[in-house]
Parts: sequence; C-alpha cells; structure tokens
Amino acid sequence: MNHDQLVIAGKAFNSRLFTGTGKFNDQKTMVAALQASGSELVTMALKRIDMQHKEDDILAPLIKNGMNLLPNTSGARNAKEAIFAAELAREALQTNWIKLEIHPDPKYLLPDPIETLKAAETLANKGFVVLPYVHADPVLCKHLEAAGCAAVMPLGAPIGSNKGIKTAEFLEIIIEQANIPVIVDAGLGAPSHAALAMEMGADAVLVNTAMAVADDPIAMSGAFAKAVQAGREAYLAGLGGQSQVAIASSPLTAFLEAG
Amino acid sequence: MKIDINEQSIEIDEKSNIEQLLVRLDSPLKGSAIAVNQKIISRSEWAHYQLKENDQVSLFQAIAGG
Repeated sequence: MNHDQLVIAGKAFNSRLFTGTGKFNDQKTMVAALQASGSELVTMALKRIDMQHKEDDILAPLIKNGMNLLPNTSGARNAKEAIFAAELAREALQTNWIKLEIHPDPKYLLPDPIETLKAAETLANKGFVVLPYVHADPVLCKHLEAAGCAAVMPLGAPIGSNKGIKTAEFLEIIIEQANIPVIVDAGLGAPSHAALAMEMGADAVLVNTAMAVADDPIAMSGAFAKAVQAGREAYLAGLGGQSQVAIASSPLTAFLEAG
Repeated sequence: MKIDINEQSIEIDEKSNIEQLLVRLDSPLKGSAIAVNQKIISRSEWAHYQLKENDQVSLFQAIAGG
C-alpha cells in the first residue's frame, strides 16, 4: 500500500506523474503509453468540431482504463474564453476539474498571468477545481492560491520544447511557499528533468510531448514513471548539502604520511 | 427549417430538439457539449430544448491534448 499519496481537492493519487493525451501517433499507442506511465490523471482538450472531418472518440478508452480526466482550456486567449471553455468542458466530461491555460501567443504559448488570475477567481467561485498553468512566478502562485485554486502548475520551459527545467530557482521558491500542490508542467523533455523536479520537492509533474514523440512512447512513459518515483523517494530521503570543496568519503589514512 | 451548426447550414425537421440533432449528425452524446446562440445548454435539457429557425449551434467535443 502506498502511504505517500498526493491529495488534490480531496482526491488521492498514487502516481505523481500526470500525462497529456496529445501528439501520439495513434490511439492504441496513447493508451498503452498512459498505462505504462501509471498515470491516474490525464489532460485533454475541447474543440469546436469540424463537421467535415470528425475526430476519433478519445474518451471511451480513457474511461475504460479508469483514468481521471483533466480537461484544459487550451485555445482560450483571455479569461472570458477560458471560463466559457471550462463550462463547456464540465458539460462535455461531467467533471468540475479544469486545467486553466490561457496563452494568447502561439509562438511561445506562454501563459497570460493577468487573464489567468481573473479566470481562476471566477472559476473557483463557480465551484471548479482549478489547476492553472502559469509561469514560474512565486507571487502569482500565491495569488492563485488565495483565489482558491486546488494546485498550481508552473512551467519548466515552453510547452512542447523538451528543454527541461529552465526555471529552477523560481520553482524552488514556489514550492517553499505553497500550501497547495505544485505540479511542474511543460518543457520536461527527459526522465532526468522529471526526476529533478521531484527532487526539488514538486508534488507532481505533467508530461506529454516527451512521451508522445519518443521513438518508443510506451518505453519512454515507463522511464518517466521510474524517474518520478526515484525523484520523489530522493526528496523524501533528504538530499545531502552541496559544498564548493571536496569532502573525503574515505578517511585520509595515516599511511600516506608514513615514511 | 434551417439552422447553422459550427458555421455550416443544415436543414432539420421542425421542432427538433438537441438530442435529435446529435443523433441525426451521428455525433456521440458522450464527451460533447452544445451551445445555442453562445449559451451553453446543459445535457439534462437536450431532450427538451427545441431548436428554432436560424439558431447558431456550436458543437464541441473532447479531443487529445496536453
């Protein structure tokens, strides 16, 4: 039995690896990869469908595999659109959980802090479990916590960039100050990046692109699962401090000086 | 009568409701959300909500995403 559960808004998770469903080559690979990841919370998007080209039914296999769904508001460019998207997602998926993401600029997909805070306040008041995707901004994260968000999702690097954790110093401050779970989202391109986030004390990470675009997405998802677990165990074990100079691991024995 | 769905004009029977529209479009009821004239119509109202001539219907569906 796992005693190290993560609890968000009263829901307990055994896995601290959350996953996205985008960019996989096909649905069969996606489902197998998500299973290999051990993830219990998966993100998805909502789209106004093109009547000419209907999309695959993504929902059925996820529900069949017992995944909890975390719809996002991707595509929203301001608070008003995000609130509308959240309400649509609640209708479509019958969940009040929402990954709030508002990124007006398609080049870097960086989240808009002002619109995100506005939307978070409204959605929390409407009873949503709000998980906002934000820049690694400690002050903003405190505001979002005060607004009633269930967790914060600061970024490591731009979405899909696979660059790893470029915001480490600020993530550390966010983690130190937060009274709600901190989920490092976006930019994690290798299992070592995920392990680093967990060693720093993140409560969970969210990974999508790095799994989906790997040569072998299923094996990569398994590798991420191990890295997240190892990072978490290292954090709980308490990492040793760093030093500028060497500190001998073996006693410097007397024979070196013997003459 | 004529309605617009996702900016495409279609003919439907008079007094059709939302549920009948989705069946006609062969669209899954699960994972879908509907707005009529920018107002979200809750799933529990679909069977009763009668569409009117020139209604602007938006149909949304869950898709893969990160």
